[in-house]
Amino acid sequence: MEYKVDKKESPGWGEVEVLGETYEEGRPEGEDLGRWRQKLASREEKLRYLENGERYWYGTEWFGSEKRKNPA
Amino acid sequence: MAEEKKEVKSIDPATVEMIEKAASDGARVVFERAATMKPCPIGSEGSCCSMCSMGPCRVPLPKGKEETPEEKRKRVGVCGATPETIAARNFLRKTAAGAAAHSDHGRKVTEAFLLAAKGEAKGFQIKDEQKLLQVALDLGVEIGDRSNEEIAIDIGEMAYKDFGRQEGEILFGRRAPLKRQELWHKQGVYPRGVDREVVEAMHRTHMGVDQDYKSLLQQAARTSLADGWGGSMIATELQDIMFGTPSPVLSQINLGVLKEDEVNLIIHGHEPQLAEMLAVVTQDPEMIEYAKSKGAKGINLAGMCCTANEILMRHGVPIAGNFLQQELAIVTGALEAMVVDVQCIMQGIADIAKCFHTKIITTDPRAFIEGTTHIEFDERKAVDTARAIVKAAIDNFPNRGKNVRIPDVRSDLIAGFSHETINYLLGGLFLSSYRPLNDNIINGRIRGVAGVVGCNNVRVTHDDVHVTMVKELIKNDVLVLQTGCSAMACAKAGLMVPEAAAEFAGEGLAEVCQAVGIPPVLHLGSCVDNARILIAATAMVKDGGLGDDISDLPAAGAAPEWMSEKAISIGEYFVASGVFTVFGAAWPTLGNKEVTDFLFKDTEDLYGGMWAFEPDPIKAAQMMIAHIDKKRKALGIDKARERVLYDMAMRRELE
Ligand code: SF4
Repeated sequence: MEYKVDKKESPGWGEVEVLGETYEEGRPEGEDLGRWRQKLASREEKLRYLENGERYWYGTEWFGSEKRKNPA
Repeated sequence: MAEEKKEVKSIDPATVEMIEKAASDGARVVFERAATMKPCPIGSEGSCCSMCSMGPCRVPLPKGKEETPEEKRKRVGVCGATPETIAARNFLRKTAAGAAAHSDHGRKVTEAFLLAAKGEAKGFQIKDEQKLLQVALDLGVEIGDRSNEEIAIDIGEMAYKDFGRQEGEILFGRRAPLKRQELWHKQGVYPRGVDREVVEAMHRTHMGVDQDYKSLLQQAARTSLADGWGGSMIATELQDIMFGTPSPVLSQINLGVLKEDEVNLIIHGHEPQLAEMLAVVTQDPEMIEYAKSKGAKGINLAGMCCTANEILMRHGVPIAGNFLQQELAIVTGALEAMVVDVQCIMQGIADIAKCFHTKIITTDPRAFIEGTTHIEFDERKAVDTARAIVKAAIDNFPNRGKNVRIPDVRSDLIAGFSHETINYLLGGLFLSSYRPLNDNIINGRIRGVAGVVGCNNVRVTHDDVHVTMVKELIKNDVLVLQTGCSAMACAKAGLMVPEAAAEFAGEGLAEVCQAVGIPPVLHLGSCVDNARILIAATAMVKDGGLGDDISDLPAAGAAPEWMSEKAISIGEYFVASGVFTVFGAAWPTLGNKEVTDFLFKDTEDLYGGMWAFEPDPIKAAQMMIAHIDKKRKALGIDKARERVLYDMAMRRELE
């Protein structure tokens, strides 16, 4: 996914870069309504998503309720 | 004058209308058959043994008097089997049959998956790479630069072997919370392959083998776990890879989705492979033109039972109804073909179809019905088979009679809440998480979570028990996860749209649902997709703050209108996974106190979850809420509520 960056004025900081909107314009219709998985395009993105999104199963840097007690 | 007491057969107006039409058309449907065929009181409470030809032996409790120890000693089968052994054997056999049904479904899916991966099943493909990678990580399959097909072949072969695993542990068991896995080890019930567990269950229940009810019931736990965390989970995961992991989709449900001017085709049963192909072929312009050449305006595909849930979740194909509506769809007179595969298909449809023009088409080599047409589905020729079936339906359109009435009843619903989608909806693409759910449980906006699943049962008012229970739960801020015919009942009652939160849910739950934009009752799929509920519960545990096992969660399960052996297997693996589970309608061990006490009480000490039976849906919901509150108390979150900012007057009051 391409991230959009906006430049904004911040009091005391001058011009700063902020992450722009990440939603896609328009309204999905038909079968596409509610679909989200196709937003992840490459295999790397998908694996990264699993590492973060499903971190307690597939992440190595996250500590859910269990790993604190039983180091994996 | 005394008012005549009228038995209410269904709360669904479409069902009531079609029962009346059936009566006037002379079609004898399940509701009428049930009125004349009463359940055997001895068999229904598990007190009849037919394991050998010296019997059947009936050992019911004496009615209206206390039994002396001497009388109890004599109340045994010809072989000396006690009522406890008989009730436990019956219970284990039901569990084994249910586990076998789900898992044979899973095996068929695995076979199709392997064909797809090898490019031998035209029309099937590896659609969801992300789920493929997820399962590869689970099973330790090398990813690297390998193609999706290469990875899929390894996954398919490992899954295929898992069904027949003789030693060791099923593959997906390792997804469960660590503490739960330790408990299964301690209890000696961490399952091997489901084939082995089912065969052992059948052996142990054979005449003269395992004759200790506790030992038999432990095998029930083990067999059911091989289903929930094995066969069913394999089915769900491989289906997701082949057909896509469900995400929210809008559709409609009830007999009113049938169309008067189109060729109506219903796919009924459980496995999604053929249904997926029908979803494609019914959109084919060539087929639509062919339908028009026969005088129809188009082709209308609808689903019934769990096959319906599968194609609803992935394509938004509308659902014509749940289990007890299968014959009534034929009674509309507007159904050209009912295509069936396996499970929950009443033989009665063949007889009802004789009163109308509907063609019943069986498609699975394991499931024939006398007097119907068989067009066998072969994954290698999936498109051709689907086309032949659609053509048969179209060819039947000109035979439609004048006696057509489609109830003008349908409801909107949103389905497609897989674990992955719930995780995404709660946390977004950057940090998907169950954290918001756990936080809202901890702060008390959501009281807890309930899985309400299972069948319809003609012995209770159709859909009423599901809907009443679920309304009571959401009114009390319990988020409800659903599958199967239970989900369909609540969808018909309008509980699966976001607006239902404001209308039916308690204030706290409604607030969360409105913030996330979800209904208070989430549709997770078919009955094998109860595996998704196990994963959702595990995700809640792993995210932290709600204990470290499923049995610590403020959660409960129910199958209020259950009827099939599959429901027993599901309930048993919920219990052995730590969930308090209430069944309605009937309970198959009521004839024996010891076995019932073991399942309802002692099991809690072994697994942290236990069974209960309560046919009244409000009372059952209250039992679930009481259990949720008990768990909240144990977690120390029973008093947790929103933080209140104290003003001066409140401070003074405190002092
Ligand atoms: S196994 Fe025993 S209880 Fe069962 S039918 Fe045979 S003799 Fe009767």
